[in-house]
Amino acid sequence: MRVKSPEPNVAEVDMTPMIDIVFQLIAFFMVITNFENTRADERVKLPIDAIARPIEAPRDKDLVLNVGYNRLADGTIDPDFPDPLVLNTVPDGDVSIDRADSVLAREARGFQDEGTKLEDVTVVIRSDAEVPSGQIQQLIAKAQAEQFTMFAVKAQQAEE
Amino acid sequence: MKFRGGSKVEKIAPQMAPMIDVVFQLLIFFMLTLKIVSPEGEFGINMPLSGSTSTDDQPLIPEMEVRVIASPNGELGMLQLNGRNLGNDEQAFLDLTAAVRQIAGDPTEDTASDDLSVKIDPDYDLNYRWFIKTVGAVSGDKLPDGTTVPLVGNIKFAQARQPQ
Repeated sequence: MRVKSPEPNVAEVDMTPMIDIVFQLIAFFMVITNFENTRADERVKLPIDAIARPIEAPRDKDLVLNVGYNRLADGTIDPDFPDPLVLNTVPDGDVSIDRADSVLAREARGFQDEGTKLEDVTVVIRSDAEVPSGQIQQLIAKAQAEQFTMFAVKAQQAEE
Repeated sequence: MKFRGGSKVEKIAPQMAPMIDVVFQLLIFFMLTLKIVSPEGEFGINMPLSGSTSTDDQPLIPEMEVRVIASPNGELGMLQLNGRNLGNDEQAFLDLTAAVRQIAGDPTEDTASDDLSVKIDPDYDLNYRWFIKTVGAVSGDKLPDGTTVPLVGNIKFAQARQPQ
């Protein structure tokens, strides 16, 4: 009698549904990842407002100024640095608003060197909600002294 | 002539392992860089250089002046529109929006009116959140159905006052 040799029983895993799901997840994370916010500083706790609108189209030329405090782990302002700072300036790091002139002058020179008119540049101010308003007014005045004329102030949109 | 068997079709098995490696790397990258935050909005502020406005550019409606007085701890002490006290609570901002809307007429267009101009003059020590709340109150009116009617298109900040 002739006996058929049994075929080896190899379980084949169907990869298609897993790859489908993984691609869906990648697409989801790519869409919701906010690359616009890369110049934001996490130390800044923006004020919240229901009327603030997101910009309709990204700007060609802008200068983002993060204004906030050095905070301790519990969120309170570091008593060693009680004054608000312009955060993460290049290459000076955090500077006080009194010393922001040099940062603004250098940025203005940079824009002019690349042939950009300063009236086409928007100075975007992302300020912490607890900063005294007068300090922001002083910062705007310093930017005006460097011939910047367009400004935008950021706020976090209120949850519906 | 006799052929042995037909020409065998070679089945190409794609190597899935490298693709799955890369896909998982991408997935982990996006998961780790994900920050769930509320979206940011902004208000445009027009601060022309002094002396750059001509007399032809004078708006038809006189500029409104909003004064924001701080309490000793930097919170809202009093909100004033053209010298008139509006209060220091949530209702004060609603009253400010209503007053600006009355001056603006009944705006139905989607864009803010450049004829309307507001100068905001806060105390030096006022917390910035109240400053932004004032800017929001004159920028637009949020209706109960969630839509926003834009109001003032020309917002300016006054010169900084001296700290108290």
